[in-house]
Order: sequence, then C-alpha cells, then structure tokens
Amino acid sequence: MATDPEPFTLPEDVSAQPVPIPPLERSRHVAHCNRCLAGLPASLTDIDSSRMVLAFYCLGVMDVYSALDMKLSASDREAWRGWIWAQQAGGEHGTGFRPGPFMTRVRQPGYTDASAPHLIMTYCALLSLAILRDDFRRLDRAGLVRFVRACQDTNGGFTTTPGADDADLRMCYCAFVVCSFLNDWSGMDVTRAVDYIRRCRTYEGGYGQSPGAEALGGTTYCAIAALYLLPQDTAPAGRLTRAEHRQTVRWLVHTQDGATGGFAGRTNKVPDACYCFWQGAALAIMGEKERIDAVALTRFFARCQHRFGGIAKAQDEAADPYHTYLASAMIAIAQGAGTWALGPLDPLVNATEETAAWARERVPARPVLA
Amino acid sequence: MPVQSEDYVPFAQRPEWADVVPVPQYDGVQPLAPIFYTPEYKDATDYFRGIVKTGEMSERVLVLTEEVIRMNPAHYSAWQYRYRTLLAINASLKDELEFTKGLAIAHLKTYQVWHHRRLLLAATNDPADELRFLESVLNVDVKNYHTWSYRQWVLAHFDREEMWAGEVDYVDRLLEEDLRNNSAWHHRFFITFQRAGKDTREDVVKRELVFAKQKIALAPNNMSAWNYLRGVLDYSHTPYASQEDFVRPYTGTQVPLSFDSDVIDVENPLPSEGSRLPAVPAIEFLADIYEVEGKEGVDEAIPLWKSLAEEHDTIRKKYWEYRIHEAVTAA
Repeated sequence: MATDPEPFTLPEDVSAQPVPIPPLERSRHVAHCNRCLAGLPASLTDIDSSRMVLAFYCLGVMDVYSALDMKLSASDREAWRGWIWAQQAGGEHGTGFRPGPFMTRVRQPGYTDASAPHLIMTYCALLSLAILRDDFRRLDRAGLVRFVRACQDTNGGFTTTPGADDADLRMCYCAFVVCSFLNDWSGMDVTRAVDYIRRCRTYEGGYGQSPGAEALGGTTYCAIAALYLLPQDTAPAGRLTRAEHRQTVRWLVHTQDGATGGFAGRTNKVPDACYCFWQGAALAIMGEKERIDAVALTRFFARCQHRFGGIAKAQDEAADPYHTYLASAMIAIAQGAGTWALGPLDPLVNATEETAAWARERVPARPVLA
Repeated sequence: MPVQSEDYVPFAQRPEWADVVPVPQYDGVQPLAPIFYTPEYKDATDYFRGIVKTGEMSERVLVLTEEVIRMNPAHYSAWQYRYRTLLAINASLKDELEFTKGLAIAHLKTYQVWHHRRLLLAATNDPADELRFLESVLNVDVKNYHTWSYRQWVLAHFDREEMWAGEVDYVDRLLEEDLRNNSAWHHRFFITFQRAGKDTREDVVKRELVFAKQKIALAPNNMSAWNYLRGVLDYSHTPYASQEDFVRPYTGTQVPLSFDSDVIDVENPLPSEGSRLPAVPAIEFLADIYEVEGKEGVDEAIPLWKSLAEEHDTIRKKYWEYRIHEAVTAA
C-alpha cells in the first residue's frame, strides 16, 4: 500500500495575497440566463422533465442582479406567469405544478398518474411566480395543502409525486418551504418529517440524501433549512442540540478547500461552485456565516466565471444556469464589496429578500399579521 | 446526449404503430426555456403521449419507452409508465434488470435509472447478484453517490447475513486503493454501526478505532479517517481524551522514532515515514481534548487553535479564532 501520497495544498493563505480580484461579470451572467430562458439546445433534452427548475434558476439570476425590469418587458413577464400557471394541475391528490408541458397535449388542468404535479417543481414555480411579482390569485391553496400531504411518505419523508416511493431530503425541504409560504402546516405531519430528517444525519455531522447515505452538501442544506423553517410553536422538535450544531458547523467549514477557496460537497472531494452555496447557505442559516473565508471564496467564484458569461462548477468548465444561480446566490449571502456586492438574499427559501417577502405576503390564504 | 439518429426509424414510419394517434406537446405562445428538441425526440414523445392517453400497456410500449429513455434518461414519466407496463403484461422483471444494467452504467448520475432498478429488485426479491453488479458500477465511478446509496438500500432492505458478510472486505479493498475515498469510509460506518437490530459490541468499537488509527498513520492529514475516528468515539460515548497518547505524535513537526521497532503498539501507531507533519486534524483533535477540561485545558488549547489560524490551516482562520472566542467565553 502506498504511504502518504497526500495532495499538497498551498501553504499560502490565498486571501493574504495582494492580487486584485477580477470584477463580477454581472451583465454577462444575466445574458447567459436570458439566452437560456429564450431557448435551450437539443443537447439539454434531459432538462425536459425538470424545466421549471431551470426556469427558476434563470429567473433567480435576473432577480439577484436586479435585471428583471431592465431585461424583461411587462408583456414578457405576463406571458411567463401564464406559462407557469398553465403547469398548475389539480386532481385526486390535490394541486401542484408540473415541470412543464412535456406530458400534456393542451392546457390540461387535471392530471393522471403520468402527468401528476411534482413537489420540487411546485417549490420552483412558487418562487418563480414571486420573482415575476405575481398576485397569486390563481393559486389553489387548499389543493396545494392536500398535495403536500399526499406526497408525505409513511417513512415521514416526501416523494416527488404522490405515491412515488422515492422520498429524499430534497422534497422534504420543498414541502417545508411550501408550508412555510402558505403559513399553514396542516399539510404535513411535522413530527414524522423531523424524525425523517434526523435519520438522514451521519456521523460526520452532515446529512445524506436519504437515511443511511453519506453526508452531502445539497441535502445538508435541505435538512438545516427545513429545521429552521419550522414555525415557533413546533420548532423545539427540530432544534439541533448544541453538540449537533457544533459538529455540523465543523463539517461544513472543513469542506472549504484551502488551495482554491471553493467548497466541496463531501469530505475529500473537489470543490464545486454549487457546493459553495449549499455549504455556505447552511452556515448562514445557522448564524455561522462569519466562519467562511469570504475573500478566498470570492476568488474561487472569479475563476469559475466563464468568459462568454455564466458561472461554471469550476475553472475551465462550461457554465450553466444551475451553477450561475447558486454561485450568485452565495455571492449575495457573502455580502462582498465593489462589483461583488449583491443582495440581500434569504438563505432559508433561497430567493432575494424582496422576493421571499413577496411570497410570504401573497401565498398565504389570509395576509400574515405583522 | 447519445441520439442514434442514423438508425432511428420514426414511429410515424413504423407500420406496427400506424394505429396510434401521436399527441404533440403544447407549450403555449411564449414558453419559458423551450427546448429545441431533435425530430427523433419529438417523434418518440408524441407517440408516448399518444399511448399514455389511451392507457395502452403492451409489449410495444417497452420499445417506445426505451427509445424515450435513451434520448432522455431523466424522463421520469417514461420510466414510471414502463414499470407499470412491465407489471401489467407480466413481463420478466429479471430480463428488465439485465436490460437496465447497461443503462445504469451509461447514465450513472441519473436518479431515475437507480429508482427503476430499486423497484425491480424489490419486486423480484432476488438480490443475489446485485452487490457484484454494483461493484462493477463502482469500478467505473468509485464515489458515485446514487450507486452508494442504492447499495445501502439493498443491504438494509433485504437484510441478509450473507450480503452483509462480504461488505467489510469490500470496503477494505477500496480503502487499500484510495485511503481518501470518503464514500468507502461512510459505508464502513453504515455496515458496522447502522445495521438495524445488530448490537455493536465493545470489541467491534475497539477494532474500528484501531482500524481508523492505522489508516491515519499512513496518511495523517486524511480527514475521512479522522472523521471516522471521531464518529466511532461519539457513537460509543468514548471521551476523546482516551486517544491523547495516539494523537500527540501527530502534532509535532517530526516523525518520532520508536524506541523499539520490534514492539508495535497497535492502539497507538506512529505516523509513517515521510508524513507531512504536524497534521492539521491532529492539532484540532488535541485542542478538542483540552477544551473540555475546563479553564486550564482551554489555556492549552488556545495556542493550538492559534497555530491553525496563523500557520497550518489559514483558510479556516476565522473559524479557529471563533473557537478561541467561544472557549474563552465558556470557560
């Protein structure tokens, strides 16, 4: 067996180097996402069954860079709101949103098992509508509560579509955001949902995608955000112990890579721009944002910027809306200076504070009393 | 995306499909992020929507859904409809498992492939060859997240002694190849401590501690092994202080000479020759031992944290400074 061929990390503190950080290429990132909203090449056909997610990332980029008013006409926005509403479908398991019309022939307000609404798409649709400043008058709230309930599995987790038997923490998070926006938690058994999240926790202090799985960046964000979204009266059930809190923070900060400043999604993996958000936003939610080396992180993002616009997962990789949005959202959380100053962003629901406030005000059946 | 456009015969031109009315997608006037589909994908999905509309479940639906899946392996409705069709026409699920082997390897990172396989395996209730197949998949991508969580599901779901039995050896082999394979470390924890209904005896805890420490000796900066060591200690409620003798040599700048090389202390293996020392995780660990010892302990931990912040782990400078602040406040 080979002994100690350890990858050598740079001993210098990147943040201590007097090298200036290149500017954040705002307009290019907006242009990259604007192009995607207008149309995607056939090579991205596998997005077909999750188009709403892509739409959310593209609109999210426009929102984070405050480019909506500038780049989109009122009629564009109205048309896009209409397209999103056309994906709302109600049926025997309640009402939610589909990823797009990939299974429907005409505007089909009803659904069968093969064209049922999807919990992740529902989360993305609500946020996209909030970004487009919709009035939510068309939202079937009672149906939405029923839909969330229909997605809760007997194991406490949530499935993509009712009865799909594919529960994992991603949908759990989406269910928590939907209930939080609705300000109505009757759509879930909170105790069992929290128990499911706990079972995803690992010995490292992160959370795996499902019980038994390895600690992973994105799903740890989902777990932490879900627990912090719990309303005051049920929050104690989901609160982390002090030891758990410390262990999770330790795991999160240790995924920041000393050589590049980026975050990796798992122990001993390479850094990736998306995990900078997942790990960084989890720290922000826990009130531990200051533990991040924000300068080194900014340098990492600067290197991930693609010269034709957009942000890639790492240097010299192709850019895409997913990494562009998540990197931009983390830049907004990090509250940098100069061209890198963006925000503010609500790390719990993953939207600008203005958009999050819009949703919280208009998604509930009755206005929330201040 | 592998689109076999040269061999592709459109369903619209296949005589055996002449009775099906294709259903085109309707996207509205100004859609968000429309995809410029290939003619092949459009053709296949038009016929798929046509089939779903009539609710037909037959042999040919398997042909159609295969075409759709090959062009878009994330098409969850095609997978779902295919699965229902298999059950409805009483098709051989064993054949389907065989068929999806190739797809699983071609689309390792697609969730739907693994979900489909999971449904099939649960239905056939015959997991005899599955772990061997997964080994061949992990040979292609040894840290693939879907494959690992699927492997964990297979073990937990079938819960058969003979399946669990080979796992430790498998993990050993993977760690011989790469000590930093965190998926293998995680799996070791899963099979040792998370097997339902299995009591973890004291000697198992001891064995795992020794295992982790011997791996640390080979690569003292390998965080996966340190996290495992911490995990076993936490699990067994063993104080970190029990490891002080082991950790200390890793916090120095030089590999200590063992006085008598004939006597090897398995519980406290020394860093291997050529190790990069001091090892950051060892300094952190020693500081953790001190921190719980009250004010005097904190006084000893502070210089360790400072050395991490200023010299050995500067990317986490603000974290180590915060640890100092926290400890001082609590002490």
